[in-house]
Amino acid sequence: MTGHEPVRRESDEGLIRRILSGDEVALGVLYDRYGGRVYSVAKRILQDDGAAEEILQDIFHQLWRNAAAFDSARGALGSWLLLMARNRSIDRLRRRIPAATEEVAATLHGPGLDIENAVAANEMTERVREALRALPEAQREAMELAYFEGLTQSEIAKRTGDPLGTVKTRLRTALASLKAELGE
Amino acid sequence: MNAHPQYVEDFELYELGVLDGDDKAEFEAHLAGCAECRAKIASARTRVAKLALAAPPSEPPPAARERILESFRARGPQPRQAIQPAPARRGFWSPAWAWTFAAACVILLAAAVWLANTNLRRSKRLADLELSHQQLETSNLELKATAARAQTVLDILSGPQTTQVALSPASTPPVPHGKAFYNRDKGLLFYTANLHSLSSDHTYELWLIPTVGNPVDIGIFNTDTQGNGQVILTTLPQGLTAKAFAVTIERAGGVPAPKGPMVLVGPVS
Repeated sequence: MTGHEPVRRESDEGLIRRILSGDEVALGVLYDRYGGRVYSVAKRILQDDGAAEEILQDIFHQLWRNAAAFDSARGALGSWLLLMARNRSIDRLRRRIPAATEEVAATLHGPGLDIENAVAANEMTERVREALRALPEAQREAMELAYFEGLTQSEIAKRTGDPLGTVKTRLRTALASLKAELGE
Repeated sequence: MNAHPQYVEDFELYELGVLDGDDKAEFEAHLAGCAECRAKIASARTRVAKLALAAPPSEPPPAARERILESFRARGPQPRQAIQPAPARRGFWSPAWAWTFAAACVILLAAAVWLANTNLRRSKRLADLELSHQQLETSNLELKATAARAQTVLDILSGPQTTQVALSPASTPPVPHGKAFYNRDKGLLFYTANLHSLSSDHTYELWLIPTVGNPVDIGIFNTDTQGNGQVILTTLPQGLTAKAFAVTIERAGGVPAPKGPMVLVGPVS
């Protein structure tokens, strides 16, 4: 799209500021930047196109309702979008009441996730996938049940037939490995 | 206050929602009193966020983009909204006050209805000379009977000798439950039974989950020794339609957004 190239290279904060002044093109850029990843998480968790799209709509709706909170927090938007994608999808999967906008404030103060740039995002994606692939199968399975199905440790134990203590150890070990691979 | 989490990975386990039961309760209890650990939650949150990238890539339907932009155009950008909840709920709505206020409102409402109806009927009588004095008297009596019945219902609900009785199937342990009488414009009566008593540093908190937006706090309550509790409201936050109500356990005094475990939930059908 000619004439829109500078907008496409804008930082998240720059796009947010444009959105706050009604710039629809900026919202489109933000959608192009993150919509696919949000949708992918929702689709993986809910296994349903329609439901995944509803989550996508809901999250972008939440985004512009809370846009003012993001206009100066580096990296917070990426982190927030990915967290919301998973949390809202799990809430729907498990028919839970979603948590409140405290999520926004809580994300702002943490280390952000810099995936604004497509190259950086793809690199990180590959590292995350590789780190999970490298886990022993039992640990990977436990992590997938926790992350993509939203199961608690007791529910994982019940599902796998393993003792609760074993499940806890597996998850902790997996998370320690992931932290070592992916950084703090 | 209990000790720091034994395992540093417990922060991620908490953020993932994996901790449950006593593990979760202990972790949350510790977090509530430890700023150092609360600060660690933020980096755990970012590490958990990264896991989203592991989802197999999937493209949303092309029409989704236009739908999102279309609703943006329709609504326009919005500043962060602050929903104004009904004033002076917390600490004010002890059962005695709530009942007195509710009783006064119902009596006033019944009186207003009675007056409005009386005025209407008198105007009609002037306009229509065939309306008999007899019919007017009958109508007034009916309205008075309605008001008296409303008063009786209130007396039963609020009377000092009235006890709440929770019924459960025989030979099963009583389970916590609640019932809400919800009227979007008039208010809410909410009762619970069989909730266990909380320590003095916690309270139950009632949330209205609107069709759009985040849960809104509409009252805190504690339970009597029989596990009964109630929340009575004659005004609800403006402009909201509830799709569900929920009760969570929070620290004493309540919180602006639900954090604690949810013990009761019910959708509005």
